Amino acid sequence: MIRYIIKRFFVSLITVWILATLTFFLVRALPGDPFSSEKITPEIKANMMKYYGLDKPLPVQYVTYMTNLLKGDMGYSLRYKNREVNAIIADAFPASAELGIRSLIFSITVGLILGIIAALNHNKGWDYISMIIAVIGVSVPSFVVGALVQYLFGIHWKILPVAQWKSFAHTIMPTFSLGLGTLALIARLMRTSMLEVVGQDYIKTAKAKGLSPIQVTVKHQIRNAILPVVTVLGPIAAALLTGTFVVEQIFAIPGLGRHYVLSIQNLDYTMVLGLTIFFGAFLVFMNFLVDIAYGFVDPRIRVGK
Amino acid sequence: MRRSLTLVIVMLLALSLVLTACGPKAPAEEPTPGEEPAAGEKVLRFHIGAEPPALDQQIATDTYAIMLGNHLYEGLVRVYDGDIQPGMAESWEISEDGLTYTFHLRDAVWNDGEPVTAHDFEYGIKRLLDPATASEYAYQGYYILNGEAYNTGKITDPSQVGVKALDDKTLEIKLENPTGYFLSLTNFISLFPVRQDFVETHGTAYASEADKILYNGPFIMTEWRHEDGLVLEKNDKYWNKDAIKIDRVEIAIVTDSNTAMGMYEAGDLDFVMLPAARVQEFIDNGQAKFYYDGAEFYFQFNVKGKTPETGKFTGNANFRKALGFAIDRQSFVDAVLKNGSDPATRYVLPLLAGVNDTFAEEYPYEFYSKNADVDKAKEYLNKALEEIGATADQIPTFEYLTDDSDTARISAEAIQDMLKRNLGINIEIKQVPFKQRLELMTALDYDIVFAGWGPDYDDPLTYLDLWVIGGGNNDSGWEDQTYTDMINFIRTSPDLKARADKMFEAEKYLLENGPVVPVYFRRRAWIHVDGLTGLVRNFIGADPDFTYADITR
Repeated sequence: MIRYIIKRFFVSLITVWILATLTFFLVRALPGDPFSSEKITPEIKANMMKYYGLDKPLPVQYVTYMTNLLKGDMGYSLRYKNREVNAIIADAFPASAELGIRSLIFSITVGLILGIIAALNHNKGWDYISMIIAVIGVSVPSFVVGALVQYLFGIHWKILPVAQWKSFAHTIMPTFSLGLGTLALIARLMRTSMLEVVGQDYIKTAKAKGLSPIQVTVKHQIRNAILPVVTVLGPIAAALLTGTFVVEQIFAIPGLGRHYVLSIQNLDYTMVLGLTIFFGAFLVFMNFLVDIAYGFVDPRIRVGK
Repeated sequence: MRRSLTLVIVMLLALSLVLTACGPKAPAEEPTPGEEPAAGEKVLRFHIGAEPPALDQQIATDTYAIMLGNHLYEGLVRVYDGDIQPGMAESWEISEDGLTYTFHLRDAVWNDGEPVTAHDFEYGIKRLLDPATASEYAYQGYYILNGEAYNTGKITDPSQVGVKALDDKTLEIKLENPTGYFLSLTNFISLFPVRQDFVETHGTAYASEADKILYNGPFIMTEWRHEDGLVLEKNDKYWNKDAIKIDRVEIAIVTDSNTAMGMYEAGDLDFVMLPAARVQEFIDNGQAKFYYDGAEFYFQFNVKGKTPETGKFTGNANFRKALGFAIDRQSFVDAVLKNGSDPATRYVLPLLAGVNDTFAEEYPYEFYSKNADVDKAKEYLNKALEEIGATADQIPTFEYLTDDSDTARISAEAIQDMLKRNLGINIEIKQVPFKQRLELMTALDYDIVFAGWGPDYDDPLTYLDLWVIGGGNNDSGWEDQTYTDMINFIRTSPDLKARADKMFEAEKYLLENGPVVPVYFRRRAWIHVDGLTGLVRNFIGADPDFTYADITR
């Protein structure tokens, strides 16, 4: 197990390094530069490029960046000039992560329940209701859901605060809007998987042994059906936790989401790199967690023993 | 079952570990619903569209920082609703030749109790111009003697820059040229004072957090939750605090204009910009208010053309005017923009200052008509074709460069349709991100671009001097000595009337011969709650200005 973890760690490190290198050169290939603006004069721009070391040859800049990165220093943002990329991410990540965790818990709980109900009532009323909810969740994008619930609950009925990230009440609509798509995905996955499992021999055996239907469902069917859901949880968790542009924009949440879009628009090189590395590392880490989690769920996949 | 539970717990534990490891600050968890402001406390609540990238006086460039700076800091003078009022300077003298300004400072203090001195101004201005500061707005100090030379490294001795603290309370500023609008320029954030010891203590972290800033304005910032919101409170040490009525200002950072509108409707904000789709509704119920934000939008032609073929046409003044007359400005603002903007029938923004009144009052002029003038357009086109020696079917398709926003796309399509219908001229729309557009403009890699400009100071020159030979923003390839001479006269003339006459002459010359065709002056629609008074909307500098605003609920 330890050997496996160490191996995974190094593979992850190399993955992130390749990601950083690619991003470093790709973002420089974008047309324009971080300091172009309508009013700037060429002399002032040249001076700023020099100040931020952007006038040096690209390979030199690359080595400098990587050396600093090894020390954990991602440099100063080229747009938020007095703030370090580390500090910006540390400021914005908690809000995104909190929203992500809430959505994750919401979508896993409700998604699994819906999926299980649907499978147990295959081709009956409950199945159709669950799947209608799932289809709506998958096909209606979060900006529509967000705007709709915001109008209904925030402006029309005035039950919930319209936007911002302050109290528990402020989190309800964003959590719902962000989680709905994932909920639908999990529900569908769980249903399909449950239906596959139900025809397996060990279910027949369990029934033949005279176990109660509840025991069969809980101990054998769900246990085995949940595996595909666990597989997708890694990337989903990484995506939800590191911020999403649309929902954060609609509900004015001070998360990472807007930085993904704005940093590219502003050609804020250090910020783009910092975010990519952060997101990449996070994704790799979540997948690692999932791999370990397999072992708990399914003894057949236990690693390294 | 037990194993699945363990799994969930392990996952959650891991997540919480990750969270605590990465987040030094707890997520903003301050339950506020139902919390009413303390009795008698006057609170103003509004939103801004983005986090101010920097509040450092000499680094700040964006509109929100300029707005905040106007309330958190104070320069030598304060410009309120177009009037120059004494600020940190109690009085001042201007020499006969208009080149030397002597400011006498009042007894004012920073929020830590230390006095604001002339040395703080001298340090701030030299810091702005120091190449080591790498300030984007360094050019705001180029009016000052040797400012540009020092900033561009032609001289290295800062003591040659024309700003000097004669003593703690007296500041002398020498200019390159007599600049009539220099007093109002000292109200710009780049020329605000900063205290050397404080800046040096904090180094690069200066002004990155609310407690790493020194304030000398009517308000101090008590909270800066990045990307989330800011809280300003009345500055008890401000010299003119009795004139300030608002006790507390809560500014939310909300990017989406529809969200902000929703917050206003739910009673969370006291004033808000109207999203385009809602403007008509509030015109109908009589609540909508409009103000110019200073921006003007125009066609800018690359007189050399993207190709020699198109250059033959874009380089022809009559061809450019033909396009100008083929545009129906009124229906463009009414049907496309729908925000109350004004058709631009001349080049100079109507609000800019003339000698005693606005320039537009003193020099009324209408070059283009509000509606399309198809006859005139065709007349100019025929003249152009004659001069070029081409026939109508030889007119190539022109590349029309514009931003990648939705508004830009709809605007471009409307223009495309008008040119096709009124003149039979085809344009191909090319939408690119803002920074790429600027790069293509600098490289003269376009035929026509839809560009805009906002004023830096309250004088028509801020628009007119764009088009001089060698001008840093003249990305049109148009090089005209007559025009450049006019601008040079305006820049150096101490005679205000002669100068204004020349500006009018330059404006007419530019419309007749220049590379620009004005389209519209942007206005913005907004609404506010009843009981909010004294809030000023500005077309230049800090907007909105709530310094002397009052609110009764």
